[in-house]
Amino acid sequence: MRGALVLMLPLVLAGCDSPLSTLTPAGPAARDIAGLWWVMLGGAAVLTLLVLVLLAMAFGPPRQVRARVWTHWLGLGLSFPVLGAMLAAGLWVGERVLPRDDGALQIKVHAVQWFWEFTAPSPDGPVTTRDRLILPAGEPVDLIITSSDVIHSFWVPQLGGKMDAIPGRENRLRLQADAPGRLAGQCAEFCGVGHAVMRFEVEVVEAGDWEEALRDAANDGDAEDD
Amino acid sequence: MTDSTAPGQQVATPADARDDTLAIAPNPPRRALGLHRRLSRVWANDPGWWGHVTAVNHTTLGLRFMGTALVFFLVGGVLAMLIRAQLATHDGAFLDTELYNQIFTMHGSIMMFLFAIPMLEGLAIYLLPKLLGTRDMAFPRLTALGYWCYLFGGLIMLTALLFGVAPRDGWFMYTPLSGATYSPGINADVWLLGVTFVEISALCAAVEITVTILRQRAPGMKLTEMPLFAWYMLGTSVMMLVGFPPLILASVLLEIERAFDWPFFAVARGGDPLLWQHLFWLFGHPEVYIIFLPAAGVLSTLIPVLCRTQIMGYGAIVASVLALVFLSFGLWVHHMFTVGIPHMALAFFSAASLLVAVPTVVQVFAWIGTMWQGRPQLVLPMYHILGFFLTFVMGGLTGVMLAVVPFNWQAHDTAFVTAHLHYVLIGGFVFPMMAAAVWWMPQITGRERVRGLGEAAFWVILIGFHGTFFIMHLTGLLGMPRRIDVYPDNPEWVWLNLTSSIFGFVMTIGFGLFVLDMALQAFMGQKQRRDPWRAPTLDWAMPLPAPPYTFASIPAPQHLDLPAREVITILARGEGLLPGAPRDRRELLTTSLGTARPDHVALLPGNTALPLGLASAIGGFVLLMLAGLYALTLLPLVLVAMLIWRWGRGMVRPVDDAPIEVAPGLSLPLQGWRRRTLGWTGSVCLLVANGTLFASLVFGIGFLALVASEWPGPEARVTSAALPWVAIAALMPVLGALAQRRSDALQRRGGDGSAAAGLGVVANSVAVAALAVLALGHMDDPTQHARDALRGVLAGYVALHALIGAGMAGFAMDQFRRAEITARHAGLLPVWRLWQDYAAVTALVAALLAVGLGMSA
Amino acid sequence: MRWLALSLVGPGIWAAGFVLVYALHGVGCARGWPAMGLAGALDLHAGALWAGWLVALGAGALLLLRLPRAKAEAGLPVWLPRVGAWIGLAATAFTLLPVALATSC
Ligand code: HEM
Ligand SMILES: [Cu+2]
Ligand SMILES: [Cu+2]
Repeated sequence: MRGALVLMLPLVLAGCDSPLSTLTPAGPAARDIAGLWWVMLGGAAVLTLLVLVLLAMAFGPPRQVRARVWTHWLGLGLSFPVLGAMLAAGLWVGERVLPRDDGALQIKVHAVQWFWEFTAPSPDGPVTTRDRLILPAGEPVDLIITSSDVIHSFWVPQLGGKMDAIPGRENRLRLQADAPGRLAGQCAEFCGVGHAVMRFEVEVVEAGDWEEALRDAANDGDAEDD
Repeated sequence: MTDSTAPGQQVATPADARDDTLAIAPNPPRRALGLHRRLSRVWANDPGWWGHVTAVNHTTLGLRFMGTALVFFLVGGVLAMLIRAQLATHDGAFLDTELYNQIFTMHGSIMMFLFAIPMLEGLAIYLLPKLLGTRDMAFPRLTALGYWCYLFGGLIMLTALLFGVAPRDGWFMYTPLSGATYSPGINADVWLLGVTFVEISALCAAVEITVTILRQRAPGMKLTEMPLFAWYMLGTSVMMLVGFPPLILASVLLEIERAFDWPFFAVARGGDPLLWQHLFWLFGHPEVYIIFLPAAGVLSTLIPVLCRTQIMGYGAIVASVLALVFLSFGLWVHHMFTVGIPHMALAFFSAASLLVAVPTVVQVFAWIGTMWQGRPQLVLPMYHILGFFLTFVMGGLTGVMLAVVPFNWQAHDTAFVTAHLHYVLIGGFVFPMMAAAVWWMPQITGRERVRGLGEAAFWVILIGFHGTFFIMHLTGLLGMPRRIDVYPDNPEWVWLNLTSSIFGFVMTIGFGLFVLDMALQAFMGQKQRRDPWRAPTLDWAMPLPAPPYTFASIPAPQHLDLPAREVITILARGEGLLPGAPRDRRELLTTSLGTARPDHVALLPGNTALPLGLASAIGGFVLLMLAGLYALTLLPLVLVAMLIWRWGRGMVRPVDDAPIEVAPGLSLPLQGWRRRTLGWTGSVCLLVANGTLFASLVFGIGFLALVASEWPGPEARVTSAALPWVAIAALMPVLGALAQRRSDALQRRGGDGSAAAGLGVVANSVAVAALAVLALGHMDDPTQHARDALRGVLAGYVALHALIGAGMAGFAMDQFRRAEITARHAGLLPVWRLWQDYAAVTALVAALLAVGLGMSA
Repeated sequence: MRWLALSLVGPGIWAAGFVLVYALHGVGCARGWPAMGLAGALDLHAGALWAGWLVALGAGALLLLRLPRAKAEAGLPVWLPRVGAWIGLAATAFTLLPVALATSC
């Protein structure tokens, strides 16, 4: 618990102004995972404390102890339930955030050294934007992630986990944003000299405004091309 | 004598109580000084600078390994400081990105390959013979070869750094980034060739550590009663034998892809970048346990002595080592949770990664229980042990967090992982190694520590470490990826990074103090009395500093239960087995694998420059490869073959030796009389490693055929006309195996098997010729598709094994001619048999695979 | 020697079973087994994975049952082979649990 407090303090200091933070989730997947983290942190703090207390108590005169208590009851008896619970929790959250074949909106994400191309379907044909991902709020979106040069990794920390963009395969990641706003994303797999600057912005709009936002973006893009 | 006997019994059945103990009569006591003088003459290094070149002694080389590793640690530490200086501010103005990438790649690679692994090898080489009651490692020349390979490989990498052409693709060198297209230039080749060169040394060490532990324990030191450190090292060395080959294979394949354009990882031609990741982590995860196990062995050795008690749960700890050795090979995919693998497969590896914590937890509680059971003394090594507990427990806990798949999706490749891995590596390896250094320095230098400085160093390191890395967990959760050099848009990370950097420098000061402390001890310490820790283990049953021959006589079973201080004089006066060096040659005792019954007397080679020569020849090959002069590499390869022949000749022993009386009434034959010599056991180990390499290759073929997107490839040109040649190449090694058996039969009868051995030469040569015909006339261009490249690799593998088989057959033929093989002396025959059988089996499998990959009608 | 080998059998069964099930999983996903029916609601993929898991568990259990009868090598305790068998069985049960719990492809 003490560890949790120590960790929370700087968090407060850092304020909410951390656009890449996994700890200020803006979607269900990230929220589930952040919850997992806080629980695991609490558990870890307790276990660390337990070990430290046992260590401190060791300093003193010799004691009659039974090996079985230490190796079996503490060693096996303590670890199996904790680890079993972690496996179960991990699987449960994992299953919840997995993409399903439910006809969700699909946006193509193509990573190139060192920028991102997002291609969304729209009534006027696919619209491609560069380093700018436009998402409808409150709806699950499947991102189809590819690369044709080296391995990159697509990551919007406030929405959920990362997914690698690997030449030769198509990876699918499901994300959902709660509400309109601006978020940030970045490449998380080392991909050469431009890795640190391979960033993109994420613009979440009301689901109803999404096609229009896309059209605007397409026009912006045309304007840039001219 | 072992720290093990009493606790071992809690799980032992009455059947293995000591009633079947060996009884060996003591030798009569002699003048210790006389024994010492003669032994020193026989076992000492050559005088002068030449002595450094020719040294093969384990004490010398163990120290040399550790000293060199320490230097690389300091270099890696300087690089870490450069990284931290760069990250201290958000636009880190002072390194350009290209250089920054080289620096973090080299920091990681140096710390893993040039510091941690050689350090643990050095510790094992230095310590094991002393702990097990023998005089040297099983293959002293191999120790030296390993050292030179390590040194040269390390120097190649350092030189590259000085010239600004160091590897820059991260320490796991993911393809395609590390492929020829995206990493032109020699940077990546430096990594692939340099690290592989260093890995030769790891394999050498693994082979001889395994053999030494299995075959050279003092008589009566059963496997289940040997000091725990030996169990840990046995686990480590077996893991090295099985863990390194996948990386060696991956490195060789990638180097072939870069140099000759054979596709293995290139998607467009049937390769797959994930093959690299699988092979790398198949090595990479076991690697961290390879690093941790020896450190845990140190803890299991030190803690009971520091608490004046015996280790708790000997059996539980051995079981934990056994579990770790296996389980740690089932976790590698947890480094690949974000590559898009189906959830169920991720879950298997998540479960395995969680499960592997169990044996670690068991050990931690066994150690703490030991402390409860005894009276812990708060002296300097105990400080480092407490530092270990604090740090490693936290690192282990973040480790199990990372094993939880969804959390991993967020934390992967962020500063959180950087924090975790340093908690585990520094907590689980560096702290125990510092404890070990404090512990064994008196033995190494024969001097006492200067008071105070070591404690100061400990506190500074501890505070510096946690100040650097604790908040880095948060940095990662706030979204900072690893391997970035600037973060202009993220002011919220600045204070975190600045704090880490400041404490990073504090930690560096701490390590500086630590090194200073060791230097002061070495040069200015008071003379150390014997056995300063009042330890029960044999490593202290000798004068300080340790003499080159370690024991004037080998401990007998009755000595194993006595404290070290009492055994010193007994052994020094020659009351143990095989006292002194009356025949003026390096002799040691080999024992049986399980119960350590005396088996035979082995003769070890003396000082020689051959290892340096061989390492230089291999180094020549590496440099020519780096220079791109591929045709010229044939020269050093021929030299390598010639030197290996000489190496083998150096192992030939006189055939007319009488048995040696090692103790009153106990006469043992020399190694030549036995088929299962140390060399034979070593060959088995080597074949285990080789078999893992072959299995990795088979895995690669299956993986690409199943998963890679561009399969099946273009129509194969190779037709059934090739089949007869394939059959010849596959069956000739089998004929070689039959020829070997014929020579064996003749040898047993005392006949002349040289003709049969000659047949072995011919059979293997015909196999090579058939493969040449295939390569030149029938096979598809290997650059066309992964399928054809893999067929090329299979052919090369079989050809290499047939060539070596021919060499061994030739060697045996030569031995028959020289009458070195007689009815009682099998010479090279047993080892040739192992090799030839292996070559025959792999040739058959390779032929099936090659044909199975498809051909046109 | 035999004793040491015997100690490795248990964890070895885990290793073989783990590799087998992982390989079956990979092949099944690549070849579309989940879409092929086997019996009732059970598809080919799930059937193969369950079979692999159960075979490994059975082998581990069998080892535990037979072990007491295997004569220990002179002078070496039987606890290590026995603990090895337990390690193998527990690891097989725990690491392959996802066969029952996770989405397959
Ligand atoms: C001396 C104190 C050390 C400091 C201050 C330090 C610091 C760092 C830093 C800042 C990074 C870079 C993280 C990034 O890429 O953003 C790093 C990476 C790494 N460190 Fe250390 N480190 C230290 C010691 C060690 C030790 C002792 C080991 C291993 C035994 C080690 C192994 C690694 C590895 C494997 C990497 C990853 C390199 C890569 O990403 O390719 N470090 N370290
Ligand atoms: Cu990147
Ligand atoms: Cu790992």
